[in-house]
Amino acid sequence: MNRGLVIQLIATGIFYGTPMAIAALGELLAERSGVLNLGVEGMMLMGAVVAFWVSRDVSGPNGLVLIIAVLAGAAAAAAVSLIHAFMTITLRANQVVSGLALTIFAGATGLSSYVGDLANLGGNPGRHIMNAINVFGLKDVPILGPIIFNQPALVYISWVIAFAIYWYVNKTRQGLHLRAVGENPEAADAMGVSVTRYRYAHVLIGGALAGVGGSFYTLVISSEWTDGITSGAGWIALALVILAFWRPAGVIAGAYLFGVVSALGANLSARGVQLPPEVFSALPYVLTIAVLAIVSSGWGRGRFGAPAALGVPYARDGG
Amino acid sequence: MPNEPDRRVALAAYAVTKRFPGVVANDNVDFEVLGGEVHALLGENGSGKTTLCKMLTGMYQPTAGRIEVDGKSVVMHSPADAHHNGIFMVHQHFSLVERLTVAENVMLGWSLDGSRIRFKRRKAEQEVARLAEQYEMPVDAGKMIGDLSIGERQRVEILKALCRGARVLILDEPTTVLTPQEAERLFASVRGLAKAGNSVIFISHKLHEVLAVSDRVSVLRRGVMTGTVELGDHAAAVDRKELARMMVGREIELGRRQRAARAQEAATAGLEIKELVVHNDLGTLAVDRINLNVAAGEVLGVAGVAGNGQREFAEAIAGVRPRSGGEVFVGGTPVRSGRPLAALAAGMAFVPEDRMGIGLASGIDVAENLVLKSFRTGAFSRGPLIRRGRVVDNANTLLSGYELRGGPSSLVGQLSGGNAQKVLLAREMASQPKVLVIAAPTRGLDVGVTETVRKLIAEAADSGTAVVMISEDLDEVLDLADRVAVMSGGRITGIVDAEGADVEEIGLLMMGQEQAA
Amino acid sequence: MSAILPAIPIRLEKRTERTPSWVQAATPVGAFLFAFVIVTVILLAGGHNPLQSYNAMLQASVTSTSAISQTLVSATPLLLTGLAAAVAFRMGIWNIGGEGQLYIGAICASGVALAIGAHGIGLALPAMILAAMVGGALWAAIPGLLRAYLNANEILTSLMLNYTAGLLLDWLINDSNSYWRDTSGASAYLVAHGKTIPGAANWPAIGGGNFSVPFGFLVGLVLAALLFVLVRHTWLGYQLRVTADNPGVGRYAGMASKRNFVIVMLLSGAIAAIAGASQVGDFTHILDPTGLQSPQYGYTGIVVAALGRYNPLAVVISALLLGAITNAGINVQSATFPQSLTGVIEGIILFCVLGSEIFSRYRVRVGAEKATVAA
Repeated sequence: MNRGLVIQLIATGIFYGTPMAIAALGELLAERSGVLNLGVEGMMLMGAVVAFWVSRDVSGPNGLVLIIAVLAGAAAAAAVSLIHAFMTITLRANQVVSGLALTIFAGATGLSSYVGDLANLGGNPGRHIMNAINVFGLKDVPILGPIIFNQPALVYISWVIAFAIYWYVNKTRQGLHLRAVGENPEAADAMGVSVTRYRYAHVLIGGALAGVGGSFYTLVISSEWTDGITSGAGWIALALVILAFWRPAGVIAGAYLFGVVSALGANLSARGVQLPPEVFSALPYVLTIAVLAIVSSGWGRGRFGAPAALGVPYARDGG
Repeated sequence: MPNEPDRRVALAAYAVTKRFPGVVANDNVDFEVLGGEVHALLGENGSGKTTLCKMLTGMYQPTAGRIEVDGKSVVMHSPADAHHNGIFMVHQHFSLVERLTVAENVMLGWSLDGSRIRFKRRKAEQEVARLAEQYEMPVDAGKMIGDLSIGERQRVEILKALCRGARVLILDEPTTVLTPQEAERLFASVRGLAKAGNSVIFISHKLHEVLAVSDRVSVLRRGVMTGTVELGDHAAAVDRKELARMMVGREIELGRRQRAARAQEAATAGLEIKELVVHNDLGTLAVDRINLNVAAGEVLGVAGVAGNGQREFAEAIAGVRPRSGGEVFVGGTPVRSGRPLAALAAGMAFVPEDRMGIGLASGIDVAENLVLKSFRTGAFSRGPLIRRGRVVDNANTLLSGYELRGGPSSLVGQLSGGNAQKVLLAREMASQPKVLVIAAPTRGLDVGVTETVRKLIAEAADSGTAVVMISEDLDEVLDLADRVAVMSGGRITGIVDAEGADVEEIGLLMMGQEQAA
Repeated sequence: MSAILPAIPIRLEKRTERTPSWVQAATPVGAFLFAFVIVTVILLAGGHNPLQSYNAMLQASVTSTSAISQTLVSATPLLLTGLAAAVAFRMGIWNIGGEGQLYIGAICASGVALAIGAHGIGLALPAMILAAMVGGALWAAIPGLLRAYLNANEILTSLMLNYTAGLLLDWLINDSNSYWRDTSGASAYLVAHGKTIPGAANWPAIGGGNFSVPFGFLVGLVLAALLFVLVRHTWLGYQLRVTADNPGVGRYAGMASKRNFVIVMLLSGAIAAIAGASQVGDFTHILDPTGLQSPQYGYTGIVVAALGRYNPLAVVISALLLGAITNAGINVQSATFPQSLTGVIEGIILFCVLGSEIFSRYRVRVGAEKATVAA
């Protein structure tokens, strides 16, 4: 394999890994607060369809329209995540069932497609697309140029988001409270931290980020809308959060790894290598199961396991 | 050892009464805590200690009476209000986040320097380390709670309060989770806190600890404050005797079991316990080499203040908890460790103190709870199927003498505590067991049900069952038992005949003084 | 004692007494009415005439024998995956791997049908069902054992296995020369597809004229009854109910909770796998990766189970309801009832039912808590 190909693989991996990474960063925040949201796929599709709608129907300078489109996608996804928040936090409904219902409600045969039908988005090319930026004119620098300095803006934004989340979770009081709420809501509540408020806020931010991730598909990867365009990226995002041990840097690294591995699979089979591409695609899931098996008991649990209160509704009376 | 308190009343309750529907939990209680003193609060479970403390920390509001902080009357609506007044409580169950560090736990919901956003880890750790050193409560501020021992976790809970400016600290049975060595350290810290001018309310069951650490002791009995004793410079035997009397003071003489009616037959083997060693859930030693024999037809009462290993003792005999050592024989047959079914097959019945916790499934109906132990016999089966008719008949038969509200199809969760206890007893006695282990048989029950339960225990013994009755209520033990074994610190400190027993002697045994051989 | 919502003074008080029967009866009815109102509003907002849409839906799914037959086709996989989810969720075990277990069931059943299908339906049908059940159970054993012995969250592991199973499916048909793939002739390589199973292995439909009931649906009905009996009327079900209600009581009475956990997973996986077998035997007659994956029967089955409150008999009804909605989406396919409405309606119904459960678990009170005043 030559160097050019490796560089191209990495660049492609980063490109395709980015939307999953952004959605996974959002899910990470929700899960850190103790709320599992299996509706990522649905929320991403909402973000994708609304962002595309805006990019098609709003006119103005390219950059401005794209910013509005991404924000609109984020808002739409956050709006549907509010349903999950209300169901699970206020009404204490089962998080698994509510999250799956959200995916069905908003997903490929749900609201996102309905919006697409109503606005007649299918088969219409968008009018604005987010192209790669030649950062500091360094695009042609050997090796790093194509990998780092020639990506669309959302790639760079995802780095900022990841760093911001790292800083927020580890270096701020609110981040400390967030971790406490996800680990032991009783203890947090006893020290005057509002479990309800923290959980609502982080489920909503998680939804918004899923929407941003979704918008990558209709604003960057392709400039058109088809039903179910994210094709399962939301589920991979769920796996990523686990694989990253609920840490933002791990999410970014894992997403790029997934991206590179699947690009590699496609590439190898195109060159007639006798290794089925499915093996590469299955790697993230198998890896995630292995990781879960390792970090769920004993020493690993304390360091790398899921937030202790993940999936558990909180009520002061213990109900 | 006790230092000189400054005689200023830091926190007080005057003429405080708290009523719940049907119960007076605290009746006209006066309670004063001085600045810089360690004030122990003694009493059995259900004596009203918890209610009093919940009023002092804003979780309950008194029905009548007033609470004063520094001589000023205050109304507290929540723990946060209590915190503003410098009153903090450390519960038995810590509220710590295991995967946060010591410093992070201390800083939850709190800011050192008023910064709203930044969490300054280094600074927080320095501050916690400083406090830890000041109060001689060594703990590594950067360590994760999950890596700490129970004793260290308790120090973190105390540091959390101190960091927020606690002046009155309520420690709820702080030593139940500690090893003796850790308890010693805690006492030193508590003395240190008092010396620094803080007040400590020390809730305990263990008299020797109270004597070791406190300046004064108040005793609650059935919601009434029976007195406050000043412990002199040398806590003499006089104090102990007085305290023992205040705690177990015998006023009511009711329903003593007619032992004479039963012939003292030659002891048939009932239950034999040899060198029993048991650890609790946290891995600390709970039962330390106990040897006991209970004859068929005998009631052995196990007296002692709660938390001295009784629960682990009962669970280990019944096979619910694995033994770490020793042997248990039922009717001469050895019973395997930690196998409830083996114990059941040998003829063991067990009424646990935690009735709804492990004894009964609250979401299942009465009839099905009644066959929990007997469903494997096949008497209620047609192949793999439940013969519902027989299950219901069984329930009707077993409950015929009990006046149970609601029928076999009511969910256990909807029964009152008394009715639940009846269901439990009916089930356990149904197999005509060789051995009955019954813990806290009448706790929380009203007078009527209490009488029923007592009658049942007597009947069980009369029919030849060896009964081990574990109870904190010494009156009850003396009324029902033939012999009384006193448990303290996981050991049997002495065995006395119930007939003509000396209450003061029992009190001393409860404090851990071993009986002269 | 109370949870205070931001700004809205709603308080939830846990019910200690048995939920009044009128509340139990009224909640689902109210939830459906509420869902109906919301769907109507959405239709209006989307510029549809709600009457026309509802009419189209009824025509497609309910009002004729052929429409009902179509509904049963859509309801069959949902009934089976719904039962699979219900039996696990009822016992407090969150198996969301029905999706993958269904794929495995389809793989096993079609494999067996290809091998011995020519010997006649009498042998093929039970063999297909059995093979599917064994495969599904083994697939479900992975999260079951990981949870019982390593404490790995079964929600996440069973979810990951769904994708692994889906990729296995893709590989068998699209990227290998497997036993399942049709490799005869050049066209088979142009559009990869599976071998068609022998006609003798096609499951019989029951009925006549333009009314027919898929065999898989009948299997589902029998299973629903069996599961109801298992849960309510057998000692195994009894032990599972006790352990689910209170694990402490299970230990106290000497029940093997880990073993029971694995048993439930095996059972749930086996049932979900029958859904896959039914897809092959009843409908498609080939192993079709896209046809199995895109409808997400496994996930929808969880919604079906939740709608039926995990009661096997109620699951039959909720499967028919969602089957009717799905079928309307597939068969109307017009401006009056676009397929995208199916997900919207299903989601809204589920949210309303799920949300309404709060009324049976808690008393809901509006207004500020009365302050307890110290005398």
